[in-house]
Amino acid sequence: MKFISDAKLLLKVTQEYKTAQFTLAFSAILTLLFLFYSYDFQAGHSRPVVLIFFGIYAVTTGLIVLSSWRIKKDLASSREIKRPTRLLGLPLVFTILAGNIFAASYGFMLLSKNKTAEYTFAVYALLTQVFILLISALNIYKPYVVDSFLLAMGAFIGLSIFYIAMIFLIAKYVTPAAAPKWMLPVGIILLAAVVTGNIFSFLLGYSLIQKARNKDASAVEKWQKMWQKILRNTMAVFGLFFIIFMFSLSVASSWTFDYDFATENNYSALLQTPSLEHPLGTDDYGRDLFSRIVFGAQISLIVGFFSTIIPAVIGGALGAISGYYGKATDNIIMRLLDVLYAIPGILLAIAIIAAFGANTTNLIIALSIGAIPTYARTMRANVMQISNYEFVESAKALGASDRAIIFKHIVPNSLAPMIVKATLTIGGAVISTSSLSFLGLGVEPHIPEWGNILKVGSAYLETHSYVAIFPGLCIMLLVLSFNFLGDGLRDALDPKAN
Amino acid sequence: MKNMFFRRHFEKTAAKKGSFLTLLLLGFPIHLFTLLFYLLKRNDPTYKQKYAQKVNDLRSSADFTRWTQDFRKQEQAKAQFFNQSVKEIELEAKVSELANEKLHKEAAMQLAAEGISQPSYKRFFAGLLENKTFVALTFIPGIFMYVMLAIYSNPFSYFIAARILQSVFVIAGVAMLVFTILYLSPFDPARNILGVGATQEQVDNFNRIYGLDQSYLQQLWNSLSGLFTFDLGTSFAGKEDVAQSIINKFPVTLEIAFVSLLMAIIIAIPIGIISAVRPNSFIDYTFMIIALIGLSIPSFWQGLIMILTFSIDLKWFPATYNPSNWLSLVMPIIVLGTSLTASIARMTRSSMLEVIHEDYITTAKAKGLSGRKVISKHAIRNAMIPIITVIGLLFGGMLGGASVTEKVFNISGIGSYIVDKQFIPDIPAILGGVVYIAVTISLVNMIIDILYNFFDPRIRSKMKKS
Repeated sequence: MKFISDAKLLLKVTQEYKTAQFTLAFSAILTLLFLFYSYDFQAGHSRPVVLIFFGIYAVTTGLIVLSSWRIKKDLASSREIKRPTRLLGLPLVFTILAGNIFAASYGFMLLSKNKTAEYTFAVYALLTQVFILLISALNIYKPYVVDSFLLAMGAFIGLSIFYIAMIFLIAKYVTPAAAPKWMLPVGIILLAAVVTGNIFSFLLGYSLIQKARNKDASAVEKWQKMWQKILRNTMAVFGLFFIIFMFSLSVASSWTFDYDFATENNYSALLQTPSLEHPLGTDDYGRDLFSRIVFGAQISLIVGFFSTIIPAVIGGALGAISGYYGKATDNIIMRLLDVLYAIPGILLAIAIIAAFGANTTNLIIALSIGAIPTYARTMRANVMQISNYEFVESAKALGASDRAIIFKHIVPNSLAPMIVKATLTIGGAVISTSSLSFLGLGVEPHIPEWGNILKVGSAYLETHSYVAIFPGLCIMLLVLSFNFLGDGLRDALDPKAN
Repeated sequence: MKNMFFRRHFEKTAAKKGSFLTLLLLGFPIHLFTLLFYLLKRNDPTYKQKYAQKVNDLRSSADFTRWTQDFRKQEQAKAQFFNQSVKEIELEAKVSELANEKLHKEAAMQLAAEGISQPSYKRFFAGLLENKTFVALTFIPGIFMYVMLAIYSNPFSYFIAARILQSVFVIAGVAMLVFTILYLSPFDPARNILGVGATQEQVDNFNRIYGLDQSYLQQLWNSLSGLFTFDLGTSFAGKEDVAQSIINKFPVTLEIAFVSLLMAIIIAIPIGIISAVRPNSFIDYTFMIIALIGLSIPSFWQGLIMILTFSIDLKWFPATYNPSNWLSLVMPIIVLGTSLTASIARMTRSSMLEVIHEDYITTAKAKGLSGRKVISKHAIRNAMIPIITVIGLLFGGMLGGASVTEKVFNISGIGSYIVDKQFIPDIPAILGGVVYIAVTISLVNMIIDILYNFFDPRIRSKMKKS
């Protein structure tokens, strides 16, 4: 470890201090928002529930200010964060129950000195699980719940306790280079927990098994280095958290949410304002908006995922062939793709859907075709660069076939920019999906999809604006998360681009 | 005085097989005559005689003996290395074959050096082009060939012509692709318009009127020629002239798009520059997070929220478009320009950051220029080059996204026209709308590309060299 003499510089490189500043900004903004909404200006009275939340957030913000001030003092006096300061993280951890993810993750970060990638995974696995638990728990105000509700909630609570235990064990026993042997079965259980959609748990399990087996030290280090780079970027981590949370929620929702609330008409509860039974109100057919938005996450993620993976594979293959063979092959493929590139993606999608009808499959195909050229161009540029490296020449000299060279040597080495590109374009696909649904050209109108909900909301903008506000917020947050994650991945995987 | 201009460029251009064939095709009325003339005159024995003479000379020279010895050594060394036993006769045969090959090559080369070359049609024609009278006589029938030669004579005109040709092919490709997609549609416009109760006779009649009973190629040809002559016939529903409606609806879309673009450039570039000058500062983080939010916000939702705030609550702007009220354009312009502004700001920042770390910036600083001057004179101008290209590409996405914004604000532009027509599907209307938007985008990108190549000194000098 390098010795840093300058206190100011030390402050700058201390991850806790940097995160404290970020958390402070977000927490303060949220506090102000709660303060603003705590008073109903039109009716002229205060909203007590919001006021309570404002109180909690104000206290949280105060704690963060205190901890940040103490970190500064500790670093100046003893060059490291002292134990009492670290213990300030403990109350912050509990703000997760009020939904303050920023403060909670900062609290966990402050608590432990030993920050391995596994610790972060375990913390976020827990945060994801608790969020899902809280969101699912809102269903108890409904007239009835699905049969599997109690069982699923029990399982979620059990998993949460398991993750808390894991956080303690990891903080105590796991070092950056190794983990004890008995972590192997624990890792397998964590891998299995991915059926709840909690990918953090999967990452944690994989990471632990890799370390516990202690077979390939270089692979462990590579994996650790990559994640350290990604996890250093606070916004990218929150992006990843929100994506995994949404994914996990769309998996878990089939056990804890009743699909009927989202699709069946209920004429006794038309266009109701938010209440405990309907946390986000109901739409013009009396369908529960909260359930509809939760189920809408499923469709958005499915369409976003497939309309990214399909063009990435097709465009990637075309780009690889065209970049590797060059000359006439390159010319023909790229000129044909130029034709596709000349039509804006959403217009091509409109034309395809006009021809073949509006449904989810056609939507995925339409969005995929338009995205092929961008992936082909990215891949082609990479392959052209990598084809000139020595290892490709040596593979040729050893008599490897063209196919083996392309798919075994070149493509694996040019995947990083493709992954970054794909992450950044999933967000675009999510926006396109809801835009087309909004125009009546996307997902079938009866399916709860965010664009469809917004379309209904736009008709009641004047009287019941919340129908249009909440699904839009969800779209924005999901797309924002993908963009933050994509930026983080780019900085971590592709140092040239930064 | 001999006219060397056409000859020089003919020789240069004809060196490539593909361009030579194109020249033959373009000037085929002339080539028909000259080729005949050439075939009659071809059997000129002088070259053959001289060639034979040269071969004989070389064969008797000391060089030939030396080559033979060299090749023999080479073959023996090869056989020794691979541990092969080679018969003496085989070896001699191989050696003399190699030596003869070299001899003929050398003979042709030496003759060429003396200015005597094998007669060919290319050379014959190049010689004719020297003659001013010939050029004057054949200028009218061979106009295309001469134009091509003139274009090839200058790297800039060549680049522009190639770029225009490429755009024409892309546009034709777009038209074919969109037509094919609509042709493959399983929907039946006749049934959709005439209703389920229509008799077979009525349906057939409808298909005959709109040419839907013709073969694929026939329909494709009609559509393509219609697109290029701005005569797309009438739409299936409402029987309005498609080209006329598109011409009526295009200006609004273009107006909004261009004003948005202008707004985006004016706002985004200073923001990107400020962020890049102070990287990782508070102001940089704030700007970039706002830019990322702008990139992530769905435009229709942004439109709805703006209507909710500024039309319904505050009553500043009207919620729907009204041609006589410019205030009604403010919100659509902001909504359409938001994601573009965000992208340009992010691009400007990364492009500036890249440039700021270049050596010439360090030099400029070392020279004693003030920080402000370094940024404004050296960094910004270089950082703008890639941004201009990206703006061109983003403009396309913006025109595509216009349909959503137009629907939200109830603007009867080209985007909402396409969306309205897709339910039937009204083939000529959708085809016309999509293709003309693609044409606009291609044209904008082409102009940017050409200007960019004119203004970037690096590309300019590279072109002159080649």
